[in-house]
Amino acid sequence: MRQALWTHPIHLVVGLTLWSAWFVTMYGGLSVACAVAPPAPEQGPLTLLNAGLALLTLVTAAFLAWLGWKCFHASRQENVRAAHFCALVSSGLYVASIVAVLFVGMPVLGLPPCV
Amino acid sequence: MTDSSRKTNPDEDTQRLVKDLETVWANPRGLGALTIVNHTTVGLRFMLTGMAFFLVGGVLAMLIRSQLAFPGQNFMAPEIYNQVVTMHGTVMMFLFAIPILEGLAIYMIPKMIGARDLVCPRLSAFGYWCYLFGGLILLSSLFMEMAPESGWFMYTPLSGKVYSPGLGSDFWLLGITFVEISALSAGVELVVSILRTRTQGMALHKMPLFAWYILAMAMMIVVGFPPLILGSVLLELERAVGMPFFDVAGGGDPILWQHLFWLFGHPEVYIIFLPGAGIVSTLIPVFAGRPIVGYGWAVFAVITTGFISFGLWVHHMFTVGMPQLAQTFFSAASMLVAVPTGIQIFLWLATLWLGKPRMQVPMLWVFGFLFVFVLGGLTGVMLALVPFNWQVHDTHFVVAHMHYVLVGGMFFPLIGGLYYWLPLFSGRMPSQTLGKWGFWLTFLGFNGTFLVMHWTGLLGMPRRVYTYGADEGWELFNLISSVSSFLMAMGIAMILADFILHFRFGKPARQNPWNADTLEWATSMPPSPYNFVSLPKVESRHPLWEQPQLPQAIAEGRYGLAAAFHGRREIWGTDPLTGKLREVIHLPTNSWWPLFAALALAVVCISLLLRWYPLAGIAVLVAAGFLLRWSWENGTHSRAAPDARDQPGNPPLHSRTMDGPGVWTMAVTLLADGAFFLSLLFGWFYLWTISPEWSMPAESPLSLTLLVVAGLALSAGWWWLERCVRRLRHRQGDGLAKGMAMITGLGIVQLALLGWVLVEAELDVTATAHDAVLMVSLVYVMLHSGLGVILTLLQGLRVGYGYVGVEAPLEPVVVRLLWRYNLGGYWVIVVSMAVLPSVIGGSV
Repeated sequence: MRQALWTHPIHLVVGLTLWSAWFVTMYGGLSVACAVAPPAPEQGPLTLLNAGLALLTLVTAAFLAWLGWKCFHASRQENVRAAHFCALVSSGLYVASIVAVLFVGMPVLGLPPCV
Repeated sequence: MTDSSRKTNPDEDTQRLVKDLETVWANPRGLGALTIVNHTTVGLRFMLTGMAFFLVGGVLAMLIRSQLAFPGQNFMAPEIYNQVVTMHGTVMMFLFAIPILEGLAIYMIPKMIGARDLVCPRLSAFGYWCYLFGGLILLSSLFMEMAPESGWFMYTPLSGKVYSPGLGSDFWLLGITFVEISALSAGVELVVSILRTRTQGMALHKMPLFAWYILAMAMMIVVGFPPLILGSVLLELERAVGMPFFDVAGGGDPILWQHLFWLFGHPEVYIIFLPGAGIVSTLIPVFAGRPIVGYGWAVFAVITTGFISFGLWVHHMFTVGMPQLAQTFFSAASMLVAVPTGIQIFLWLATLWLGKPRMQVPMLWVFGFLFVFVLGGLTGVMLALVPFNWQVHDTHFVVAHMHYVLVGGMFFPLIGGLYYWLPLFSGRMPSQTLGKWGFWLTFLGFNGTFLVMHWTGLLGMPRRVYTYGADEGWELFNLISSVSSFLMAMGIAMILADFILHFRFGKPARQNPWNADTLEWATSMPPSPYNFVSLPKVESRHPLWEQPQLPQAIAEGRYGLAAAFHGRREIWGTDPLTGKLREVIHLPTNSWWPLFAALALAVVCISLLLRWYPLAGIAVLVAAGFLLRWSWENGTHSRAAPDARDQPGNPPLHSRTMDGPGVWTMAVTLLADGAFFLSLLFGWFYLWTISPEWSMPAESPLSLTLLVVAGLALSAGWWWLERCVRRLRHRQGDGLAKGMAMITGLGIVQLALLGWVLVEAELDVTATAHDAVLMVSLVYVMLHSGLGVILTLLQGLRVGYGYVGVEAPLEPVVVRLLWRYNLGGYWVIVVSMAVLPSVIGGSV
């Protein structure tokens, strides 16, 4: 049963769905924060807002890494070919999601949020 | 599964079987042909209609290039030029590219996955009629010289009432929304068909790559089109009624339109590209004579492309003004999407490298695709960079890039695919000579037109200008583009001539003429309406390479569902992951209802255009009546299942189960509905946060008490329905009809209370965007609740008629999904629009 949980085809879309949710939260959160309480431009990237976005990025990446590892582990133990295929491709898609989160999220380290 | 009833003379048995199948799957002739729902006919209709619209779009393109060939020309007046440019883009994107690819998918998918039809044949037919009528309504505007003229993206405020007072924008908004019903219909049923109706043994990892690409495309349509439908509804409401969604003075924001449009518009590029790439992934292994390198990587790339393409929409809006940090998010995502595309290109190259490619006409188009699309992809990465994007924004550079991506990514593979599958359509081979001439003229003409256009753009020529001065330095480049475009037109004419002539003069094709590996070549050429006499069991990704005798064995009825004496149109229902048999799906047959429903909706569309609202209201009711009658003739109704008994040795009929395709179809439809709903919520929060003149009263005009009571009625109805379904699962059907009646009553209570809320709120929908959004949201909720009530009432009636019950428990499960959706959506609306404003405290 636990094995089936990690070889389920739903994992083919979970990683990038989480990426999408993270992406919308980043963009939406930034927009709302800049409309409601924009930090002073002279603060540069060292703002609470950037810190919050960076933290969200790291937490999301870590969660995706955990999911990816579980799928990869399950794929190695799975004997049913279709389930093995799903788990293996899903683990790759989790890795892609991590790369996407980190790559898109990286600018929060260097740019002021609302300029 | 082999039919055990075949005991005596196999030839006689096969003949009888074929005769039965031909009776059950017969396509009527004459006027009756309008009732055909079979995927082969509907797919062909989509493709032929798409091709006709393509010719119209092509003529418009020639007009544009004629106008721009020389500086200072008066070939077309500015207002006519604007209409021609707008209609060229609109026709090519909405009436050609998407529908023809959907048509190809509708035609090809069941054959590739070993099915006899799509899972919702009437929905295919309905989609086609909506497409045809919507397209004709839109096109008619051109001949009446009142076509839309605000560009194919209809930016507000240019497309609003003030700057576009004629009917042009209305034609676009209503016509496109009508056409999008078609796209969504196809999207929903392609998803469900691919996931649930693959033949026995075709596990997910054995599915043809083309099906993976179409699955991704269809899911993207389901999620990507609703934002534009919402935008179109809102803009039409603004134009017709004066609700100020995009008017700053009323608390709206024109940039909201851009968000909604490009939330659809950028994924649209990939919706068009993915089927093209799917064709390439199908053709290259066949002509290289070996399996594709990295099947799993291809699946990985398809899924990644599908998702990441939704994170790019703002790169069309880099110049509207937003924080640099926000721009970098979209810039990074725009660069990132090139990675999965690159993976696919390396897989194709590796397959060619390791195989022995045969350079026949379809492969010419594949190589043309590789060259053109890679160039388009490279300029795409350039445009992802914000400073460069600012520099060339709204110039011909962008036009050139767009055509490299769209023509390279869609048109070249499409023509390659059509050449490849022509023998299947007609049983004849196309001409190699005409085909090669057609390719080279098109290829050279295309590059002459659009490669040069990059330079015109870099020299600063803006797009959508009807003429230019002789001293700008753009004359030579424009002349080269115009001359080359006519060269391209000659090439396309030659291809079309080849397509038409081959039906008469083409050499008869042998079975599987390209030595392909997929199941569509196991059908007869041209295929019969039922595709396969029997449905094969598939053991590998390349069934025809590993079992060359499979077509013959299928035709002899040696595999599954080799019986039709019961009068049902049947396909397998299989497990989405493993391809193991789960049920026998019996499909509805030819019907007038799809055509009648689409005709009624066309009347709605025209009435709204002419502002004849009473007629529009009547037509809506008539359309609803047709659709409900259509739904009535489903499940175990004798018109859907003349003999609704299980066959010994086969899995149960789907209407006897609780997880038939109807559940999946409803779930995928609600996914589209959810995308619409989330777009509406996005609009609400966007205007609340961003719109400069947004005004929100300190207290919500909606009565929270009444909303909560209405919500409790809805919740009670939902709970009761869940209980009914649980009891059905335990084969307890007593009191089912009464339960449905009670649930209907609770739904009516909710509706009445919502009506009360609406009346009491006294919303001034033309004064503020706030009140206008509340109105749209309440109407959205009430429409859903109304639908829930009607469907539940019908379920009660169907229990009485014996169509639903312990032996046929599927339909309440389907209706339950709608109630679940209504419940979730309702409480989200209440919290977002009635509770949050009170908590946060009115205007921001």
